[in-house]
Amino acid sequence: MAELQELTQVIIKGNRAEAKRLTQAAIDAQVPARQVLDALVAGMDEVGRRFQRNEVFVPEMLIASRAMKEAMALLEPMLVKAGIKPEYIAVIGAVQGDLHDIGKNLVAMMWRGANFQVVDLGTNVPAEKFIAAVKEHRAQVVGLSSLLTTTMPAMQATVKAIKDAGLGSLKVVVGGAPITQDFAKEIGADGFSPDAAGAVDLVRKLLAA
Amino acid sequence: MTTQGSLTGRERVNRMFARQDQDRIPRHESFWPETITRWQEEGLSGEQSDVLDLLESDFGQVTWMWPSPFRGQGRTIQQDASTRVVRDEHGKLARYWKNKSGTPEHLGFDCDSREKWEQVYKPALLNTGLQVDVHAAKRAFRRARELGQWAYVAGVESFEQTRTMMGDEITLMGMMEYPEWIRDVSVTCTDVMLRNLDAIVAEGVHFDGLWTYGDMAYNHATMCSPATYRELIWPDHKRLAMWAHAHNMKFIYHTDGDINGVMDLYVEAGFDCIQPLEAKANMDIRTLCPKYGQQLAMFGNCNVMKYATNDRAVIEEEIRAKLEAGKKTRGYAYHSDHSVPPQVSWETYQFIIDLVKRYGKY
Repeated sequence: MAELQELTQVIIKGNRAEAKRLTQAAIDAQVPARQVLDALVAGMDEVGRRFQRNEVFVPEMLIASRAMKEAMALLEPMLVKAGIKPEYIAVIGAVQGDLHDIGKNLVAMMWRGANFQVVDLGTNVPAEKFIAAVKEHRAQVVGLSSLLTTTMPAMQATVKAIKDAGLGSLKVVVGGAPITQDFAKEIGADGFSPDAAGAVDLVRKLLAA
Repeated sequence: MTTQGSLTGRERVNRMFARQDQDRIPRHESFWPETITRWQEEGLSGEQSDVLDLLESDFGQVTWMWPSPFRGQGRTIQQDASTRVVRDEHGKLARYWKNKSGTPEHLGFDCDSREKWEQVYKPALLNTGLQVDVHAAKRAFRRARELGQWAYVAGVESFEQTRTMMGDEITLMGMMEYPEWIRDVSVTCTDVMLRNLDAIVAEGVHFDGLWTYGDMAYNHATMCSPATYRELIWPDHKRLAMWAHAHNMKFIYHTDGDINGVMDLYVEAGFDCIQPLEAKANMDIRTLCPKYGQQLAMFGNCNVMKYATNDRAVIEEEIRAKLEAGKKTRGYAYHSDHSVPPQVSWETYQFIIDLVKRYGKY
């Protein structure tokens, strides 16, 4: 449908007013909620791909995420009515000792844009709080962020505590400025993403496997 | 200790900028406060300045400038055992560790609309008077000259100032939606900085360089696109570089992150030097020097993540490779690629100093 393609395009452009207008028009026209959701997610997926290719940058990603969020607020009741649930449930936070929130917020934003339910625990999160949130929300993935070299040991300790807690098939993914694939492997994380957009594909791959 | 060998620190750095022969590469370093604390427990006798003396740093800071709209009006709102929440003099509400360093958790930004900027923050910035102690700067400058150091004034440029006042989200979304607002903030912050710099020079403090701080990138790319940077911030960076050159000074720009996409713009703006060239963010002087080494001096790039391994072979290879690459242009100064973290032992850092001295000779 041309209207849904247009909806995808306005999400990519971060045009919040048009995103809300087109979403409401689709709801009014009784377009199935799943189709509207797919159009919105397709927009954010494209923003993520362009971000990874350095064709768009953080400002464009922020305004696209905001347009998505406002459109989703309109669509939410329709999704509930249709029994459509989030694709995955994720818990995210910056590890204990780290007060940085920028990178973590971008990942949360991209996950929400991919129709994940995200429980954001904020910054300076102790391992036991991650574990409790995973249990409470029955999360399938937990994301740990660390921006400083000084908090990398806390990330290692948190991964170990989560793994030791025996939370079934839960996947632990990590990221942050000093974090590398090698470090992620060394501390026993299930996955690493160098950027926020990549964190979406990472979770989809890990949980589809 | 800046008169080792035949050159003073000032002469050495000036010759580096001129791509002339030097006895050794110039040196400087930054540290996390926790690193110095660890080293003191491991036998360091003294403070950070004593480590810089051991390294034989060539650089002397005259003053530090971070213009704010409400100078001296920061206050603690609440606190617990380990953190305190502060409304700072930039209007930012942030949570800080009491006994640790690091970037604070940003809780809120009062300057959240163009109206508030125009009615409150802009007038406050323009009306707060001088934001530097010119007499202290004069004393520090005299001291740097006595020590033969390359004397610089450090300051925060307009992008970092904007983010500090308005936060990342408002600033970055504003770049897309209200570019003329962000441009106005950048111009105003730069005007205030230039006014302060003029005041320092008017006191007879003819320092050697302006070292400007503004993290405009992260480990993957610049925060905004090169085109957005060119339109909104770059004209003010160019103004700062031109001011420095008009006063016979050099312009050093500090930014963390991956700045490969804007190196050409830095050259076009007339920057003289880039620091610290973060290795984990894809910056590598082995590729940058051949391409930009004649226009831009390179300052840093030795990977602190390798330092943090405390593995002597790994560290020696890092320092040897980076210093050899830098020396080829005669336009290179030693610095790590960020700040030395507390994972690095005092024993390891003394080894690093030895390596820098050994491989840094011409």
